[in-house]
Amino acid sequence: MASVKVSLARALLRLFAVQGSYNYERMLGVGVGVAEEPLLRDLADGKYGPAVARGAHFFNAHPYLIGLAVGAAARAEHDGAPPDQIERLREALCGPLGSVGDRLVWAGWLPFLSALAMTGVALGGGWIAVAVFLIVYNIGHVALRWWALQAGWTHGTRVSVALHHPVLQNATTLMGSAMALAVGFALPITAQYLASAFGSWTRLALAVVAVVAFLLLRLRGDRVNGLRLALVFAALALIAGWIWP
Amino acid sequence: MSTVTPSLEVLLALLVWGTLVGVDLVSLPQMMIARPIVAGTVAGAILGDIPTGLKLGIVFELMQYDILPVGAVRYPEHGPATVAAVATAHASAGVLGLGLGTLVGLVTGLVGGLAINVLRRVNSRIVHNAATALESGDPRALVRVHAGGLLRDAVRAALVTAVGLVLAWLARPLLAGALTERGALLLAVATVGAAIAAGSAGTLRLVGRGPNLTWFAVGLAGGLAMVIWLR
Repeated sequence: MASVKVSLARALLRLFAVQGSYNYERMLGVGVGVAEEPLLRDLADGKYGPAVARGAHFFNAHPYLIGLAVGAAARAEHDGAPPDQIERLREALCGPLGSVGDRLVWAGWLPFLSALAMTGVALGGGWIAVAVFLIVYNIGHVALRWWALQAGWTHGTRVSVALHHPVLQNATTLMGSAMALAVGFALPITAQYLASAFGSWTRLALAVVAVVAFLLLRLRGDRVNGLRLALVFAALALIAGWIWP
Repeated sequence: MSTVTPSLEVLLALLVWGTLVGVDLVSLPQMMIARPIVAGTVAGAILGDIPTGLKLGIVFELMQYDILPVGAVRYPEHGPATVAAVATAHASAGVLGLGLGTLVGLVTGLVGGLAINVLRRVNSRIVHNAATALESGDPRALVRVHAGGLLRDAVRAALVTAVGLVLAWLARPLLAGALTERGALLLAVATVGAAIAAGSAGTLRLVGRGPNLTWFAVGLAGGLAMVIWLR
């Protein structure tokens, strides 16, 4: 029992670097293989090598939830599941783990807390707001990674039970709404905070630029992104400043 | 407009911080020190100028909302970019610093994004060449390929930060000297305005047209009420 906990702890530590060798050939596959390897060490000699090789095959999902696949595949190897079933399990998990993770974290937990941090800074919270963001975010981050790995190891090939857990489903829905509310609240306060560096007439110019840029991004979002547009605006400003000294 | 030149120790600390931030974005450990609001605040603390770090951090945090890092999507790298932006803004005080800092950060972010794509292509080639060793199930080969990727990302992040800091160092003699007060103001308005727009447009894309749009509208109304109340 103790050795399983040690192996799970090792796998968890390696999961923090699961994207270390991100590539277009196997995506996160190599990182997944590295994270899964400690859980495969007590397999019989003839099973260990092929299991490690399978673990490093193509895989792509949300990095925080990959533990579900790592735990489930390792457990399936221990339970003696046929290799093609393990391959199918991995393939079947890519889409759902990516989708749930993206909605829960990238489009929920992260922008929600980031918006609260921006609001905190804009209202005078300073670096403390940033520190609170970092601490609270990582409590959720580490808890999610640990839960995913444990749930994968517990359920094995029936890991879909964990993915359909009501808490996970409700959290995904709740975080989307909370994110929308928090970011909506943060935007005007943040804009006001940034505008405080300018005089009253310049603030008007700032509002006009922001509206024009927003419309361009909404109408031509398929061709223009924020970075390119900001660079074009900067170039125009430099030219205007040179013509109109 | 007053200017400040950071010491070599401070520049080295910024380089180390920018590297950690760059590695955190994708490779290790994704604890969100790569988020501009964190990267900028710590860069500001290193420079002894937290307010500038917070301000540039928020500018690039808004830019970050333009990105949803799903699948193999390509995106700019705003972490080391924010470190370079803060270094620039600290060296050129006031509105000039805000505009120049954002400009340097935008260019560094672009370079960072390109560097990530190049790294992934290099990793692909290395993984492809190591296919036989990986298929043999040798854990040492697996760890070697993976650790190599991590190391290359650290080198990439250091190089991107170094490029950003060089741009920060060049920005003052090349641009600040040539810019009039009005030019500096125009630059700051253009870049900060674009960042606010990118944050707003990106958020709307994230929120979509479903029920979350209502929550967004409620939040926006609350935020506007707060702005009016605070005036």
